[in-house]
Amino acid sequence: MILNNNAFEFLAFLLVKAVPEKLNNIQFSNNPPMILLDHFLQKSALVGNENRLMKASEFKQELAKKNFEYIHTPSFELIKDIRVGEGGISSALVEADFAIGETGTVVLDSSNENKRLATCLAEKLYVIVPLSKLVDSLHDVAGFLEMKTSGMGGYVAFITGSSRTADIERVLTVGVHGPKEMILYILTDL
Amino acid sequence: MEIHTKINEKLQDKVLHENLRNFAIAYKVSKQNAYQGLDFEALRTKVHDLKDRDLNKVMQQFNQFRENVERHGCKVYQAKTGEDACRYIADVMKNHNSKFMVKSKSMTSEEIRLNDYLEKEGLHPIETDLGEWILQIAKEHPSHMVMPAIHKTRQQVAKIFSDYTGEDVDPEDIKAMVEIARRFLREEYFKAGVGMTGANVAVVSTGTIGLVTNEGNARLTSTVPPVHIVLVGYEKLCDNFEQALDIVRVLPKSATGQIITSYTTWIKGRNPSFKSEDGVKETHYVFLDNGRLAFLEHPKFKEALKCIRCGSCANICPAYEMVGGHVYGDRYIGSIGLILTALYQGDEAAKDILKMCIGCRACSFNCPSGIDLQSLISELKLVVGKKYGINPIKKKVFKNVVAKPNTMKSLLHIGANFQFPLTKINKLNNEKIIGKVPMLPKEMDFRKFPALASKTFTKRFYKEGYDQFFASRKVFFYPGCAVEYFYPEMGLAMVELLQKSGVQVDIPSKATCCGIPAIASGDPENAKKMIFNTLDCLNNKEDYEALLVLCPTCGGAIKHEFLDFSKEDPTRYKKASQLGTKVSAFGKFLEENKIKFRVKGNQKITYHTPCHDSRSLAYSAENFLASVLGKQFVPLIDSNVCCGFGGTYSLDFASISNGILDKKIENIEATNANILVTDCPGCVMQINGGLMHKNIAVKVLHLTEFIENYLEVID
Repeated sequence: MILNNNAFEFLAFLLVKAVPEKLNNIQFSNNPPMILLDHFLQKSALVGNENRLMKASEFKQELAKKNFEYIHTPSFELIKDIRVGEGGISSALVEADFAIGETGTVVLDSSNENKRLATCLAEKLYVIVPLSKLVDSLHDVAGFLEMKTSGMGGYVAFITGSSRTADIERVLTVGVHGPKEMILYILTDL
Repeated sequence: MEIHTKINEKLQDKVLHENLRNFAIAYKVSKQNAYQGLDFEALRTKVHDLKDRDLNKVMQQFNQFRENVERHGCKVYQAKTGEDACRYIADVMKNHNSKFMVKSKSMTSEEIRLNDYLEKEGLHPIETDLGEWILQIAKEHPSHMVMPAIHKTRQQVAKIFSDYTGEDVDPEDIKAMVEIARRFLREEYFKAGVGMTGANVAVVSTGTIGLVTNEGNARLTSTVPPVHIVLVGYEKLCDNFEQALDIVRVLPKSATGQIITSYTTWIKGRNPSFKSEDGVKETHYVFLDNGRLAFLEHPKFKEALKCIRCGSCANICPAYEMVGGHVYGDRYIGSIGLILTALYQGDEAAKDILKMCIGCRACSFNCPSGIDLQSLISELKLVVGKKYGINPIKKKVFKNVVAKPNTMKSLLHIGANFQFPLTKINKLNNEKIIGKVPMLPKEMDFRKFPALASKTFTKRFYKEGYDQFFASRKVFFYPGCAVEYFYPEMGLAMVELLQKSGVQVDIPSKATCCGIPAIASGDPENAKKMIFNTLDCLNNKEDYEALLVLCPTCGGAIKHEFLDFSKEDPTRYKKASQLGTKVSAFGKFLEENKIKFRVKGNQKITYHTPCHDSRSLAYSAENFLASVLGKQFVPLIDSNVCCGFGGTYSLDFASISNGILDKKIENIEATNANILVTDCPGCVMQINGGLMHKNIAVKVLHLTEFIENYLEVID
C-alpha cells in the first residue's frame, strides 16, 4: 500500500512538477534540437562525455552489439544484476531519472547498493537519458531529492563526467577512483 | 617558528611560486566562464541570506535534522569540542573492531586534527582524496582547501609514491601516479570497517547530506564499508533542497571554476549494506561545535559561519599567492582561514597571521556567500592589536605624531627641509627621490622612495591663491597625507581643472590622517583619534556637490570606517554618515558631470585600478580612459589586483609586498605602454618606486596629473 502511494506520488510529481511545460509541445524528430538540449549537450561535452543522440529503436540495435556487465534500465525492462567487488567491471549501463540542462548532469537514484557499486566501479559508465527527463535547472530536481530521501535511507547521485582529479600539478586526470569514461545515450523519442 | 622566517622560506620555494601563480591565472578565467550568464551578485546574496540565522534557528534546524535521522535508527552525537568528536569517532571504530577507516576530504577533520588523534589510539584513518592521500603519506597538512597538495610537483609526488609503495614511479607521468592511487586506495575501501565523510550541506527537511566531489571517493567511502560516519559543523545545516541547491550552484564554480563537480551525492540515513550484519548501513552523525556556536550570536563574527568552504578567498588573495596556505592560514586557509583560526583556536594562534592581510578587499567581493571577509579580518586585527600590542615604534608614531596633526605638520616640515643630503633626482623621470635610505633593511629595498614635498598641499593651496576662487558650484576636497606631504601637485592639478570648469574647491582647515594606517596596524585608540580629528575638520555644507578624494583608501575610510568608529558619538556619526554619501573619486565626478576630453600626443597608456577605488568607492577610471584614449589605451592584465602597497604593510611584509609588485610590473611591461595612470597616491608610490628601482622607463601618473598634461577639455 505504502509502495503504491509512493509510486503514485512519484508519477504525479513527474507529470506536474518536474517536466517543464515547454517539453510537452516539442517534436524532436525533424526539429533542430531545442535550446535546453543544446545546453545539456554543451555542458556534458565540456566535461568530456560522449553524447550520442538516437531513437529508442536505434538504441536497441546498439544494445545488441554491446556486452554490458551490469544493466539497470527500467524503461527497457533490462536488468543484469551483479554485486561488483574490488576488481571492478569494465562497463555498466544505467538509466537516468533526470538530466539537468544547466549543468550537463545526470541524476541517478542509487539507493540500490549493487547499482551504486556498479556505477562507482565500472571503467566505462553508460547512461540512458530519455529526453523527456531533461529538465532545465538544478532546482527542478529538488522535489525528486526530497522524495527519494525522506524515508529510512536514500542515495541520489548527480553525475557529471568521469571520476577526475587535478590534485597533481592541477593536471586534469580521469579515473582516479571510478569510471574513466562516460557515454550518454540520449533517446530522443522516449 | 617566527612568521617572517616562515614567509621567507615560502618565498624561496620556486615550486610553490609557480604552482600558485599558474593556478591564480587559470582560476580567474575558469571562474568567469563557469558563472557566465549568471548574476553572481544575486546568487551570492541568496546564499548569504539563507545562511543568515541566529543560534536559536540553527538549533531548531539541528533538532529537526536529528529527528529525521534518529527516527530511522541513525545515531547523532553532539561534540562540544574537537576532542569529543575525535573520541566518539575512535569509539565507533573500536566498537566495530575496525583498525581502518577510509575518509573522504573533510576540512572539519583537519580542524580537529582527527588523524593525529586516531593514530595515537593505534587506529588508521586513510585519506582517499588524492591530494589528501599524498599529504598523509608525506606527513603534511593541506595548503589549500580544495587543492590540498597544490604546493607539490609531480616529481615530489613520484618520490612520495615510490617511497611508500616500493615501486618505480616515473617522475613525469601523472597518469601513472593517479593509477597507483586508484590501485592502492581501491583496496582500502574494501578493507575498511568504517567510512567517514564530511558534508557540504545538511538538509533539514529530510535529514539528507550533500557531498560535492570530483574523484568519486566520497561515493565509495559512503558505500563500501558497513558503517558511515558524517562529521559536520552545525553551520552546514540548511532548511531544504532549494537552499542546498543554491549552495551547490555556487560552490564548485567558486572553488575550482567548474560549473558543477563530477559528483554531487545526496545521502540519507541507512541504506542497504551487504557488508553489514543486518544488511543495513550503520550511520552516525557527529555535529561539531568546537566554539562555532557561540559566534552565531555575535553581531559581526556570525558572518564567518556562512562560509561554504570553497577556498576562493585564497584563490584571489595576492598575499596567499605569494606564501601559500601553510603560512597564510592554519587549519583553514585563505582569508577565512585567518578568521576561523582566531575564532576557533583563539586570538593567540591568529595574532601574527592576521597581519598578513594586505587589506585589498578582493576576497570580500569574491566570496560566494557574500561574507565581507576583509572587514572581519580588520576587526580582528584591532582586537589582537589591542590585546597583544602592536609594533612599539609604530604605536609611538601613531600616538605622538599621526594622531596630532600639528606635530605631524611640524615634523614633516623639518623633514622636508633637512632631507636634502639624502635626496637626488632620478635620471629616468626627473623625479626627486630619496637616493639611499640609511639603514634600510635589504628586503625593504625594492623600490625608490619619493622625497617629501618642499611645500605641503595646504600651504601651496593658500599661497598660490586657489582659495580665492569663488563659484556657486562647490566641492570639498580631502587631500589625505600622501597628497598633503608627498604629492601636492596631484591635488593642485585637480583644483586647477575644477576651477577651470567653474567649480569652487574648499579644503580642510587642518591636514589630518584618515586613520587607515592605524586600523590596518591594529591600533583602535589612535585610529579613533585620527578619525575624529578628520571628521571635525571636514566641512559639511549642504551645497557641496561632492566630497572629493584622490586617495580612494581615504575615501573608503570616510564611507565605511568612520561610521564604525563614531558609533558611540551620535553627532559625529551623523556627520560621518552624511559625508559618506558624498564621497566620490575624482574621475567619477568628472564622468558624472560629463566633462569631455580629448587626448594630446600619441602616448600609449595603461591603467591600474586601485583596490579601494573599485572595492570601496565602486569606481574605476578604466572605461573613462578607454573611451577618451581610444586606440592609445592598452588594458592592463589584472588591472584591479593589488599593487602590494597597503601602506605600512609594504614595510612590515616587505618581501610579500615586493613579490606582489613584481607581478604588477610584469603586467605593466607586457602592455608596452609608456604611461601608467592610476588614481591612488599609494599605488603611485609603490608602482613608480618599483619601476624606478628596476630602471624601467614607464611614467606613472595620478589621473589628475595625467589629465593636466595629456588631455584637454572639449568645450
